[in-house]
Amino acid sequence: MIVFNLWSVLQWYLRPFIKWFLRKTTKLCELQRICYGDKPGAERTRNVEKSLMQSRTRDVKEVVAYLDGVVYEKRFIPRYFRDILDPSIGIILRVKKINPKLHGTFVVSFRRCLEQIWSYRSLVDQVEQLRQTQFDSTNDDHEDKLLQLWSLLVPDTPLEARVTKQWQHIGFQGDDPKTDFRGMGLLGLENLLYFATEYPQVSSHVLSHSLHPRYGYTYAIVGINITSMAYYLLKDGSAKTYMFNAKQYLPNVNLFHKFYCYLFYEFDKMWIESKPANIMEFSDIFKKFENAVRIELADPASVFRINVEVDNV
Amino acid sequence: MMGLLNILKKLRSNPDKELRLLLLGLDNAGKTTLLKQLASEDVNHVTPTAGFNIKSVLSNGFKLNVWDIGGQRKIRPYWRNYFENTDILIYVVDCSDHQRLEETGQELAELLEDDKLRGVPLLVYANKQDLASALPASEIAQHLGLHLIRDRTWQIQACVATDGTGVKEGMEWVCKNIPAKK
Repeated sequence: MIVFNLWSVLQWYLRPFIKWFLRKTTKLCELQRICYGDKPGAERTRNVEKSLMQSRTRDVKEVVAYLDGVVYEKRFIPRYFRDILDPSIGIILRVKKINPKLHGTFVVSFRRCLEQIWSYRSLVDQVEQLRQTQFDSTNDDHEDKLLQLWSLLVPDTPLEARVTKQWQHIGFQGDDPKTDFRGMGLLGLENLLYFATEYPQVSSHVLSHSLHPRYGYTYAIVGINITSMAYYLLKDGSAKTYMFNAKQYLPNVNLFHKFYCYLFYEFDKMWIESKPANIMEFSDIFKKFENAVRIELADPASVFRINVEVDNV
Repeated sequence: MMGLLNILKKLRSNPDKELRLLLLGLDNAGKTTLLKQLASEDVNHVTPTAGFNIKSVLSNGFKLNVWDIGGQRKIRPYWRNYFENTDILIYVVDCSDHQRLEETGQELAELLEDDKLRGVPLLVYANKQDLASALPASEIAQHLGLHLIRDRTWQIQACVATDGTGVKEGMEWVCKNIPAKK
């Protein structure tokens, strides 16, 4: 504990000297060294974020506060990126004395990092809002989504009534799913719905596992627990590895849904492979699964995708 | 720091002070919320329990190992696997769920008939008292037929698991009614 504190105090004092020394010898500022030296994706973006957050330069601090403000006002969306980021990048270039004509690739890569960092922060807010929206059976929109989930997962059998034991087929607890979303609110439903909509084959494959006579589990309830896992991984920043390594996408709600689908698919695989005696082993296997995911996310080089080929076998 | 270590050592050397609490009830009764409340954890992120949760809580000088078992129908057959060595049975009822009062009464009656739970003191939490539609604890007691219980001590405690109202009072009763260990 004391050793650790001593080290962080030392680092706080030494950091400026180390940075100054490297700047003099490499003729590059820390942000440039990161953008040129680190692999694009999680490694680079995480380090840029760390560098910006640790900066003691007033102008840099102001840029960070300004971008946080934009996220707070829910305006950090691709349509406004140019208007928002151009001035911010301009300030950083000026403060760090970087010539954009000589360092064009730096500007491109740095811009991408800023987009990722603040899209992630914006995503955390959006996901939180969805989670806090309680499922409300008097809201037509919520009800439609629930019914849609049924028809996507069980296309051949229509629901006999809104309140029916049939819901247990897709793993809700009783006759009415409305009380099952609990603390995950609408987020739990949206996650389930996305999985069924975007990966119909994979989700029906997973659903069929959940109906296995020996290794069966409650699909929707487990899904809501996966939502909870995805939510915590997002909140504590662990999910940055996943989000920043997604080359074609910026962090947004759909990417969060994709993250969820990946987790659900992988959990199902681990569950079946574990050959559990019954559903009471859920807590243990779920914990084991979370640990495995956290280990993977701790490696910035990890790339995640659903191995869809398995589905067709 | 030392104080805490001493307490932990004492607990280890005094198994009489370690209790096994079993938390049962229908799904959506509020068992997990209650468990989180006991452990002073955030109650706003609860998910339905697939399987079970367990937490150890220090309370009134006791180490309480609380087992929270999922309440959905599919899981109820597994409740029996957790009966052994239970010191106190805590049964949670959602007092606003009028439709399932009978169901929850039947489940409780079955528990009370089980050999492994014979004589185990029973605490019923009449939960969700903050909801307008909630029945008062006295009416719940009547529905469950608690007054007919002769083979064990029991108590009913009105509570709101989400904000902790009444939870402490229930636990105080628990700590006062620990059966002598065999």
